[in-house]
Amino acid sequence: MINFIINNQPVTAQKGETILQAARKAGFYIPTMCYLEKTTPCASCRLCVVETDKTEGLILSCQTPPTEGLVVTLDSDRLKQERTNIMRLYDVNHPLECGVCDKSGACDLQNKTLEFGVDRQHFSAKDQPRHIEHWGLINYDPSLCILCEKCVHVCNEIIGDDAIELQFGGYKSSVIPKNSDKLDCTFCGECIAVCPVGALVSSQFQYSANAWELSKIPATCVHCSAGCSLTYEVRHTSNLIGAKSKIYRVTNDFEHMTLCGAGRFGFDFDVEGTKEESSFAQAVHALQNAKAIRFNSLITNEEAMILQGLKETLGVKLYNEEARAYQNFMSAYSSISGKIGFGGSLDAVCQSDGIIVLGGRITTDNPVVRYSVTTAARHNGAKVVYMHPMEDELLQNVVTQFVKYEVGTEEGVVAMLAKTLLEGCDLSEETQAFFDGLDEGYLCAESNVGDEEYAHITKSFIRVKRKTLVIGSDVITHKRSSNIARLCAMIETYTEFSVVVIPVNVNTIGVSLICELDMDNGGEDVVGYNAAGDYTMGSIGDVNLTLPSLNSQEGTFVSINHHVLPTNVAVAYEGYTLNDLASSLGVKADNTIDYTAKLPLSKGFNGVGFDNLGNFYSALGEDNRGYILENMDVKAEGVLEEIDDLPEFNGTVVYHCNPINQFNSYTARTSQLEKEAILRGSAQFAAAAKIADGDKIRLEFPHSTQERIFKLDSTLKGTIALVPAYDVGFGALNEQYRFEKVKIMRMGSAS
Amino acid sequence: MNHEEPFTNRNVSESSTYYYVDIETYPVSGWDKFKQVFRRAIRGELFVGLWVVMREMIKFDIHTLQYPLEKLPIGPRYRAVHKLLRLWESGYERCIGCGLCEKICISDCIRMDTRIDENSRKEVTEYSINLGRCIFCGYCAEVCPELAIVHGGRYENASEQRAHFVIKDDMLTPLDLLKAGEQAEYPGFGAIIPGSDASVKKTPLAY
Repeated sequence: MINFIINNQPVTAQKGETILQAARKAGFYIPTMCYLEKTTPCASCRLCVVETDKTEGLILSCQTPPTEGLVVTLDSDRLKQERTNIMRLYDVNHPLECGVCDKSGACDLQNKTLEFGVDRQHFSAKDQPRHIEHWGLINYDPSLCILCEKCVHVCNEIIGDDAIELQFGGYKSSVIPKNSDKLDCTFCGECIAVCPVGALVSSQFQYSANAWELSKIPATCVHCSAGCSLTYEVRHTSNLIGAKSKIYRVTNDFEHMTLCGAGRFGFDFDVEGTKEESSFAQAVHALQNAKAIRFNSLITNEEAMILQGLKETLGVKLYNEEARAYQNFMSAYSSISGKIGFGGSLDAVCQSDGIIVLGGRITTDNPVVRYSVTTAARHNGAKVVYMHPMEDELLQNVVTQFVKYEVGTEEGVVAMLAKTLLEGCDLSEETQAFFDGLDEGYLCAESNVGDEEYAHITKSFIRVKRKTLVIGSDVITHKRSSNIARLCAMIETYTEFSVVVIPVNVNTIGVSLICELDMDNGGEDVVGYNAAGDYTMGSIGDVNLTLPSLNSQEGTFVSINHHVLPTNVAVAYEGYTLNDLASSLGVKADNTIDYTAKLPLSKGFNGVGFDNLGNFYSALGEDNRGYILENMDVKAEGVLEEIDDLPEFNGTVVYHCNPINQFNSYTARTSQLEKEAILRGSAQFAAAAKIADGDKIRLEFPHSTQERIFKLDSTLKGTIALVPAYDVGFGALNEQYRFEKVKIMRMGSAS
Repeated sequence: MNHEEPFTNRNVSESSTYYYVDIETYPVSGWDKFKQVFRRAIRGELFVGLWVVMREMIKFDIHTLQYPLEKLPIGPRYRAVHKLLRLWESGYERCIGCGLCEKICISDCIRMDTRIDENSRKEVTEYSINLGRCIFCGYCAEVCPELAIVHGGRYENASEQRAHFVIKDDMLTPLDLLKAGEQAEYPGFGAIIPGSDASVKKTPLAY
């Protein structure tokens, strides 16, 4: 705690806080143009200057921590003069196109120019030839750019793409793609979000609506398990097509959270529906005669409650293999840890200085995990160990140690990792005996991970204080997932590691907590809700009864942080909902959100009604969205099983893995996201499968076939190819082990 | 500082010079009424008026306006149905699609759609005004930074429906009229004040 004085008032700062942070917490206003709470200070705008009694000149409050007894002045005439001059310089030759600029009305430069009363140009500079750059989803206008560097910082420190940089040249400076002519990045669009002016804009949104015309609807992203907060910005469409409401863009509270490209650009997946009584009656009839309902985890908690209610009333079975795999994994996990959920969260990942990521391709499975890992690496210098059969080029900049193991040997790898991390811990005799009895030679040889690699982990984690283990979804669907779960739980229970398990879908955790799921044996008379069935309903694919998509629904999700998050209706839906169907089948409620307060208390929900849930970040970054699930105690009586023989995967193996910004059938039908549904593999894979770049191929899986184009990817190594899953059927990823042996037939070249 | 209006006595009757008009008493009985009618008819007052009509008829100097074939000229600042103007030199639309008219419209009757065109400029794809709602207040013309939307002189708004629209094609000056120099600048709300050139401050340029 540091006590100092701002404007004659005593203020206390925490250790590590800057003057700016302490002042803002205490309610003082310091103007800034380049400051971003979540990155290191850019220190480019110099608007946050303050006077102190201990320095002669002005100092930057954004990067200076206070010292005990410091006297700070925020608003002297000298500071006012200094800041006004800075604003005058910002306004030199700034194009007077506020009339058409997208940012007008929500522009930092406009606001500050008015605040400091800059009403004419005081200085002159020879204008430079500048051209508008078109970078796919992003347009960049260098003449509007004020070079605050926010975009560069966020791209480098949070996202980890490191795709843009500042080209220094005095007045000629501009933002350019790094080491490339064209912008080559994951198109998260965070640079658009942080841009204080209209320099970086969404190319699809540009000039289509003004900031003040859009109504802002706070919601939760539905594409992956991170459950990011986002704002759907909605306006009427043109009169010619009936002036319906339409989502124009998605924005986020960029000061406090980060959104990926799927959330930002993949918003137009809503469906239209009508109230047709005959098809409603058909749906009711189908449900009455159904033996089972098959569904996926793209549903709200409230709908999960309805399905569970239908199970109890009608006696149907509930099929959701993806959530069931997660349920099984977590029940095995709880049997050791004694808690219903894992203990880690993405905040914990951000703050840790040592992270082990195992069994998942986090860059595409859950980008926010990647951003958290990047943040930890950049801000805390975190050691990042990435353990996976395939190296990930996008993690290159942050991973300090890559451990490659053989496909299918996760159980052996986790056992060895647990043994390494648990060394010296106070284990029960039984457990100690288990670890002592491991056949290290066999496990290391089969998984192809040597002793020295584990030793290196131990060595590099010696000084690490806050440790996190991130478990990807490969292991959840592994044949031996239960035992892997117990081993992971061992690590969390007996070491300082906090564990995060990445669920696949936005509400996998919610479904696994609320629904009693049955094993899917196929069979007849299955009603599919956003899933395959004899009678289908939902918002995905060609269905018998259309039900609203997730951006037309209100309800809650449970995110990877065990955070119960509310979402709201962005586009009104005219047709029937699942609640209408259930109500006529005896599971009655006026509105779907009546179930929010009834979510099971035994699983950690707290019984708060939907309308009492907040959905915003405060100005200081406090998360006021929904509530955190209580991590309930359960009985811990699980025992570790012997490690099974490690399987071998030889020949051509593919990994079910979606491309960047693609997750499910919703993202697959959005207009902006790239839909490159190809098999990507290395030259080595091409040689093994006897195919060449651009070949049309048929993939023969044990239960299905797919036709795709093969593309050589020089960033990949090894004999495993990536095959997307978002465009197959109902976009099912992770119902089975993600690595699969496959027969590849060449059908001719693409051209 | 409080503004206080000085008290003025508005009681007009005190200093008034009202007087009674000398009106002859109304006839009460039937006989008296008959006498009054007879007296007035015989005096020939009727023909005084008829003579005026006769005289004007013979002169053929008729002032009646043959509406709707003829229309009265209205003042240039009259606020009737809107017009969208073009730039004199290039013929481009003046409207830049800033949306201020849509925002300021107090009866919420303006709606526009914009997009980015091939030259990275903002293009107005659709512009409509619901005349059934419009109260012709002139705010749109006043707020327009480009002098693009102005009021015209077309005041006939009879319609079979409450909602009826003018769209961009109706309001925009046709190119042939522009070339013929028939686009009129509007002197009403939002127009440039005469002599405003003098108050323009020069921006320092480093050329």
